[in-house]
Amino acid sequence: MPKVKKKRVGFVIDMTPLVDITFLLLTFFMFTAKFKTEAESEQKFFIQRPQASADTSKLPDRDLAIVKIAIDTVTFDTSYYFELVNEEDRRMVWANTPNIPADQLTKAQLQVDLSLLNQLIIETRKVNSKTRFAIDADRRIRFQWVDEAMEALRKGRATLFNYVTEKRQ
Amino acid sequence: MGGLSSSLHAERQKRGKHSKRKKRKRIGFHLDMTPLVDITFLLLTFFMFTTTMATPQVMEMSIPPEQVEIEVIADQLLTVMLRADGQIFWFIAQDEPKKVELKDLRKVYERENLREDVKNKLITILKIDNDAQYGNVVNILDEFNLAELFITQEISKVPDEEGNPTERKRRFTIAKLTEEDLEKIQSL
Repeated sequence: MPKVKKKRVGFVIDMTPLVDITFLLLTFFMFTAKFKTEAESEQKFFIQRPQASADTSKLPDRDLAIVKIAIDTVTFDTSYYFELVNEEDRRMVWANTPNIPADQLTKAQLQVDLSLLNQLIIETRKVNSKTRFAIDADRRIRFQWVDEAMEALRKGRATLFNYVTEKRQ
Repeated sequence: MGGLSSSLHAERQKRGKHSKRKKRKRIGFHLDMTPLVDITFLLLTFFMFTTTMATPQVMEMSIPPEQVEIEVIADQLLTVMLRADGQIFWFIAQDEPKKVELKDLRKVYERENLREDVKNKLITILKIDNDAQYGNVVNILDEFNLAELFITQEISKVPDEEGNPTERKRRFTIAKLTEEDLEKIQSL
């Protein structure tokens, strides 16, 4: 008499290796994830950085002031922005600098004109002399914008600075 | 199905508290990992899609503190000009400007920097039109930086007085393109 094949109900797959590898990947991505800074979440533009060959030097995380020159995504106006990464420095610089529009005082990143940019650079150097400066400009803008920002840095005696670039693929 | 459940029932009875049967040690038990996997995958996909791998890098620049006049020997001056339309021109001293493509710029820069008479003395000045694109400027700077690797290597092959490899002295500055500069290259 042929054996009656029992229908299998509810079978179990060993998920352990799957869980192992998933957890491994998860922890990797969790630890490498870098969230947007306060300033970045406020801004209404996206900077298309100029491309440069592979370089090992990376943008520092602390003691950094960034002069951004960006094109607004909605109005297509070019403007200067000033961001200070250190929170304590930012509070002091913002407080010490006159002429900051009242509605911008709470922001992490200011939309500035050249004279205000100049004042901010000088104040930043006073508050924290270790601050490194970087120019983060869109690659489509005219060089004059960068040149004027460089002139502002020169006046603030910040003669060593960095251009922020992106790795060429 | 009935058979299955009844057999299970029978087993349970056997295993019951009052059964005389010796309790079997359970080896290898199954844990339902499905919810765990669900949530892990959810988080994993979230982190995978939100991370950006390419962190911005930096290109170092230094500018002279104030507009100071520096005496230079004309023969040791390499001028590279960038016109508003992205065309690049170069010349030594007061020569006629010559047009160069971006991809050939590195060769020119390396050759001029390694010429025996001006080796390690050449000053480079990059003059940029106000209307030139910033992206093009960085492209040129990048070519110079790439050429610098080769130049440094070549220069260090010759030992200095103390027998150490000669140190590369890079002299470079960035400036605006003036009206008269523009006249020179306008019609080229």
